[in-house]
Amino acid sequence: MVILVKFCKKFGFFLLIMFIVLFSLFPFIQMLSTSLKYSWDWGNPSLMPAKINIEAYRDLLGLGEKKVDLPESIQNLLDETPDLTEKQRDAIIANYLDTGDVFPFGKYFLNSILFSLSAAAVSLILSVFGAYSISRLKFRGSSFIRRGILFVYMFGGILLLIPLYKISVALGLGSTEEGTVVALVIIYVVQTLPVSLYMLGNFFRSIPYSIEEAAYVEGCSQMQTIWKIIIPLSLAALATVFVYSFMIAWNEYLYASVFLKSYENLFTLPLGLKALFVSKNAIWDRIMAASMLTAIPVVILFMFVQKYLAGNLASGGVKE
Amino acid sequence: MEQSLSLRRSLSLEQKKARLGVQLVLPSVIVIGLLIIYPVAYNMYLSLFKVNLVGNNTFIGAKNYINIIADATFWQSVLTTFLYVVFSTFGTTLFGLVVALTMNKKFPLRAIVRSIIILPYVAPVIAVVYAWQFFFDPVNGIFIHVVVEMLGLYDQRFNLIGTPEYAIWVAIVFSIWKSFPFTYLMIIARLQTIDNNLYEAAEIDGCSSWKKFLHITLPELYFVLGTLILLRFVWNFNKFEEVYLLTENVKTLPIYTYFKAFTGVMDLGQGSALAVIQFVLLIGLIMVYVKKVLKW
Repeated sequence: MVILVKFCKKFGFFLLIMFIVLFSLFPFIQMLSTSLKYSWDWGNPSLMPAKINIEAYRDLLGLGEKKVDLPESIQNLLDETPDLTEKQRDAIIANYLDTGDVFPFGKYFLNSILFSLSAAAVSLILSVFGAYSISRLKFRGSSFIRRGILFVYMFGGILLLIPLYKISVALGLGSTEEGTVVALVIIYVVQTLPVSLYMLGNFFRSIPYSIEEAAYVEGCSQMQTIWKIIIPLSLAALATVFVYSFMIAWNEYLYASVFLKSYENLFTLPLGLKALFVSKNAIWDRIMAASMLTAIPVVILFMFVQKYLAGNLASGGVKE
Repeated sequence: MEQSLSLRRSLSLEQKKARLGVQLVLPSVIVIGLLIIYPVAYNMYLSLFKVNLVGNNTFIGAKNYINIIADATFWQSVLTTFLYVVFSTFGTTLFGLVVALTMNKKFPLRAIVRSIIILPYVAPVIAVVYAWQFFFDPVNGIFIHVVVEMLGLYDQRFNLIGTPEYAIWVAIVFSIWKSFPFTYLMIIARLQTIDNNLYEAAEIDGCSSWKKFLHITLPELYFVLGTLILLRFVWNFNKFEEVYLLTENVKTLPIYTYFKAFTGVMDLGQGSALAVIQFVLLIGLIMVYVKKVLKW
């Protein structure tokens, strides 16, 4: 009897863990499965594709052969005008290329990298100094700033979106590609800066002050101490903060959708994915493959810093 | 003499430090001030105008606010927001708690399981919404297949995400899925700091696991849970992407505002007014919560 109860408890516990794991992973499994299925297989509820189809990935990564779907009249035109140069021919054919243009993954990927890297880098540099200042140096208003940072969490994206958009248009930033890039990077910096300041501030406070004092005795200035002591000691924390900021920018949709609306050249992955979904080429295997390709970089990055990130989240430095 | 000299030196050192402190933090403060504080103020200003994207604004006083309050769809949206925020907040906290308690026990492969279940929190919203949509898709989705074909609960396939009454529940479950890892991480960090002696003492007194949970674990977690609910409440209240990208049929306030301000006639003035109302509502609710629940 006792053994039976014990067994039931163990089994129940096992079921609970299974449920939690399945609940967390199922959408990802679904994504992977559908991205590898042929269209005739979509309605089949089995998660194992009946036949593996990697066409979607090849399409998105531009590895597949480009299918040319020329209307007859154009074919005739090409055949009957032999004096067209090779270049002109290619230009005409290019208009009818079937793939590649729908979701130029490479381009969107680079755009996403550009925005996320620059935002994370600027945010990290600003926050190293800012966080050192508010965690180590006492001056008038330092505690006000420290607390004020947390208050910034209260403002939702939509509250800032309208005025920021209006301001960027008024400054003329919205009317050029370069200006738009600058505006959006600055916005991402601001979105990630409070988190970075808070996380790094918490970390710097955990470095024993005696180490710094030893450096002063050796004749280091305050700035030298930051370079020679604080930064080398906090490389893991810096990497974590960098990745966290990078992820916020990488995943961002709302601001990108408003600022980049008329610049398809600058689309980030989230925007491109949304555009792919509403376009006539909304084919499930491609959408799922594109979803996978968008998720994989951040998931990999996350795996690297996971340990530190979990600790930092727990100490309270977060924003969504 | 010597003392006063050293005093002066140390004072100037203090001052030097203070000056450096200001210099180092200034860039961050300027950026936050210019791009967060100023826009919030500017947003309040804009809400009193009929705003043109290019050109001059016309002052119209409280007209934007009056128009909003007179609009029935606004009140509908307030109701939707409440439903969404309350259920997603409590659902996330409850599920996060269950997961934290489970993961706090030892079992084989725990390290792997622990890192796997954080994935929903890490993945970009846009990359996971389509998997969810596919799951509920009326033609291909597994959900409909199970409910209609296998269990026979309904005799017809239907579009769950396409119907506003149902879509909100999908959005709530999605929100729980997306944010429970965060809640779980915060709770488990606190769980690990609870003194084991407390449990041992309770065991000697013959307490059941349920009693131990009720009288030791829960009181220890009270503050963490209270804070988590507050944070989740604020975040879900302001949440845009997780709802909008999953389904445009659930019009919570941020989405309602987005539609007003950036689609159709692009009424930025009314959008600003909506954002202000939203903010005031949020602050009010937080004050009540902090007073009643956290008792600060």
